Amino acid sequence: MSKKERLGNFTDSDAPEYEDVLQCMRCGFCLPTCPTFALTGRERSSPRGRVALARAVAEGKLDFTDAVKDEAFFCLDCRACTTACPSGVRAGEVMEICRSQSQQQAPPGHIGKSIRGFILQRMLPNPDLLEKSMIPARLYQRLGIQWLVRHSKALKLAPSWMEKAEGMMPKLDAPLRPQLPELTPARGEKRGKIGFFLGCIMTLMYPEVSRQTVRVLAHQGFDVITPKETKCCGAPHLNEGDRQTARELALFNLDLFLSQDIDYIVTDCAGCGASLKEYEELLAEEEDHQRMELFRSKIRDVQEFLFDVGLRTEDLQPVKTSVTYHEPCHLCHAQGISAQPRALLKAIPGVEFREMNEASWCCGSAATWGLKFSDESQQVLDRKLSNVAATDAEHLITANPGCHLQLAWGLKQAGMKQDVLHLMELLGRATPEA
Amino acid sequence: MLDKNILDTLIQELGKEAVVSEAEDLLVLGYDSTPGLHHTPDVVIYPTSSEQVQIAMQIARDNKLPITPRGSGTGLSGGSIPINGGMVICLNKMNKIIEIDEENLTATCQAGVVTLDLFNAVAEKGLFYPPDPGSQKISTLAGNVMEDAGGLRGLKYGVTRDYVMALKCVLPDGTLLSTGGKSVKDVAGYAFKDLLIGSEGTLAIITEITVKLIPPPQDKRTFLAYFDDISIAGAAVSKIIAAKIIPSTMEIMDKATINCVEDYVKIGLPRQMAALLLIEVDGHPAMVAEEAEGVERILKEVGAAEVHVAKDAEEAASLAAARRTALSALARVSPTTLLEDATVPRSMLAETFALIEKLTEKYKLTVGTFGHAGDGNLHPTVLCDERDEDEMNRAHAFYDELYEQVLAWGGTVSGEHGIGIAKKEYLAQQIGPGGVAVMQRIKQSFDPDGILNPGKIFVADGE
Repeated sequence: MSKKERLGNFTDSDAPEYEDVLQCMRCGFCLPTCPTFALTGRERSSPRGRVALARAVAEGKLDFTDAVKDEAFFCLDCRACTTACPSGVRAGEVMEICRSQSQQQAPPGHIGKSIRGFILQRMLPNPDLLEKSMIPARLYQRLGIQWLVRHSKALKLAPSWMEKAEGMMPKLDAPLRPQLPELTPARGEKRGKIGFFLGCIMTLMYPEVSRQTVRVLAHQGFDVITPKETKCCGAPHLNEGDRQTARELALFNLDLFLSQDIDYIVTDCAGCGASLKEYEELLAEEEDHQRMELFRSKIRDVQEFLFDVGLRTEDLQPVKTSVTYHEPCHLCHAQGISAQPRALLKAIPGVEFREMNEASWCCGSAATWGLKFSDESQQVLDRKLSNVAATDAEHLITANPGCHLQLAWGLKQAGMKQDVLHLMELLGRATPEA
Repeated sequence: MLDKNILDTLIQELGKEAVVSEAEDLLVLGYDSTPGLHHTPDVVIYPTSSEQVQIAMQIARDNKLPITPRGSGTGLSGGSIPINGGMVICLNKMNKIIEIDEENLTATCQAGVVTLDLFNAVAEKGLFYPPDPGSQKISTLAGNVMEDAGGLRGLKYGVTRDYVMALKCVLPDGTLLSTGGKSVKDVAGYAFKDLLIGSEGTLAIITEITVKLIPPPQDKRTFLAYFDDISIAGAAVSKIIAAKIIPSTMEIMDKATINCVEDYVKIGLPRQMAALLLIEVDGHPAMVAEEAEGVERILKEVGAAEVHVAKDAEEAASLAAARRTALSALARVSPTTLLEDATVPRSMLAETFALIEKLTEKYKLTVGTFGHAGDGNLHPTVLCDERDEDEMNRAHAFYDELYEQVLAWGGTVSGEHGIGIAKKEYLAQQIGPGGVAVMQRIKQSFDPDGILNPGKIFVADGE
């Protein structure tokens, strides 16, 4: 725990820095980019308003009230405001830290606490348990919902969440983690060695996507090492305000990947990528600075990575289709990766890329937000779907499992023609078999 | 704390949706973009029609609550801050564009329409609404009218005032006032419309606005010129105007501003240069070609270090967008950005830059200067920390001395941000006690009880 001098009405551990809230000069450039402000028109549900609330708490002018807590969780954490802020204020991060404050200042009741703890501290940090818990889900697709039913209270889900969660569940295959070899060797001229960070949702819900990612990386000339011990990146914990467990997971993954002989650490999950890139701040007080810097210098999102090293297109097979691209918030806003995925799409032979309006506007998934605020989530999603429809493209491409779930479900509900593909799946179609 | 009966009456008359009274909501509706100013209102109303504005004002009047109008809270002189508490009327849910009249070339909007939304809507019909304040993505039209907002295109196209054709508003006594219309000419009695523009919410609350539209320019050329010395940039501006060329935009950024903006936009602005000018000429292609040649020649004659031409409209737009972030980007380097709005006759630009440099040194401050050079309108911004009392005192002394000279040169203390709370004393200095007295009599005739946006523009007795 990072303890320091108490700031106003925050507790002394995991509190926002005063400088970070003072930085906001209230110009309002964030307002038109904030999905929750667009929904409510309410200043307190805007980044500027949320930072002002945090500042009032920091200055002792306001207690850490229920309204402050509510805003911390109503924030989508999409980070669009960070991209929009010329002053460099990171309102999303301030709210993420306020989520941790809310766990400290208003802990959930006993039952809520134990179930929440069970998910965040027992299940997610343990890949084996996580996979076993999904076995019934695979056998009986419907039963998978029971897992969520059991944990719904702890996650404070909206009344109608169940129907939505059931509809969202993709057809589940066996988890990828036990199937992937430790080493998938490079094909063609070898360009380096990468450690593949396989995320929990990817292995459990989108094993086929990550299988393609590994295939593509190997075909692009990289030895792909997938450490089986990899634990959850910690994003769900940060999201729910459990920074302590997030730190423990971060330390584990840091040691695991730094002990490998690899040039880069690559992930195909935007949420994991954003979280891994933030380990430096999360662990600022307990970890050696040089080790952190080394780790940070190796982390790449797979789209970013392939763009940086240069996509080898010589023997790619044409994929004759049209696509549009939805930017995952945790890719474009949290990691600043926006041009690279588009460049890759344009480099795949046969693919016609159609830009949609508001490509970087959130899809309304945002981890468990879409289940907690299902009506609001639907409104955010509808805005996205109408932009997708206007392109008339065959496929909707994205690069994050949270967006993937939400968009696939939304398209199906709306009876639209598009399917959702991860960019690596599309690239996988262009990649010849060995 | 608002009396429960008043709150009940408001909810009963306006509906629950329109009335906000939770502490956390009130707290975040007590600021705008002016540094250091904050005052919490007692209740906030979000009307959706003129009638609701009337009802809210009636209830406020009956209960002697001060009323402060608010749009998006992007003002830079504290105009929408409820310094005496009371009721804030937030107009940003009245955001419908009512009509775009292609025969009369006008657009009619509700008060809370966002400036850029109007620009885009009329552009779709091949028309042009030129006023473009830095905050155009966020600011509301009624806010623009009340502060008479300027923007990057002011040099050639003028400011908000030049486009307002008609206003509908509610006076403090509840009267609905409609002034102006779609006729291009109107000299029927006093020009209320012109009195209301720039009145900073002290005379009436605007509910509907009709603006003039013009055909967009067919062509444009955008230049970026770099300078080793900011005075040379000032001289370039004066010489371009003296050559009878009126660019649509002539914007300046000094070194501190260039670096802060580049930290944010990362488009390769020249970090080592003392200043840059962003110049755009627009109009008929033949005229653009001729003026562009003239601008380029003058820039070389005065000794610009480098002159670049934007390769396409997209690059030109990204440069203008970068310039619009200047103030907010300056906030990257210090917690407090104290910005001013001094405006001088254009022939005095080079002297003004020299003065800012001299005073920066004298008061040991960090200052970033940017602004509408072509309008003689500069925003010298002191980068400071509101917790450092000594530094804040030096910053105020800097502005006092700057304004004294600006006024001596025949300039004004505010080009486009308004007087609000922040510059009341400077106003008296500029127009004298006689001028202030007449303004106060005008205020009294509109608002005899003094309930509308009190504490703005004029220094109150005993203040």
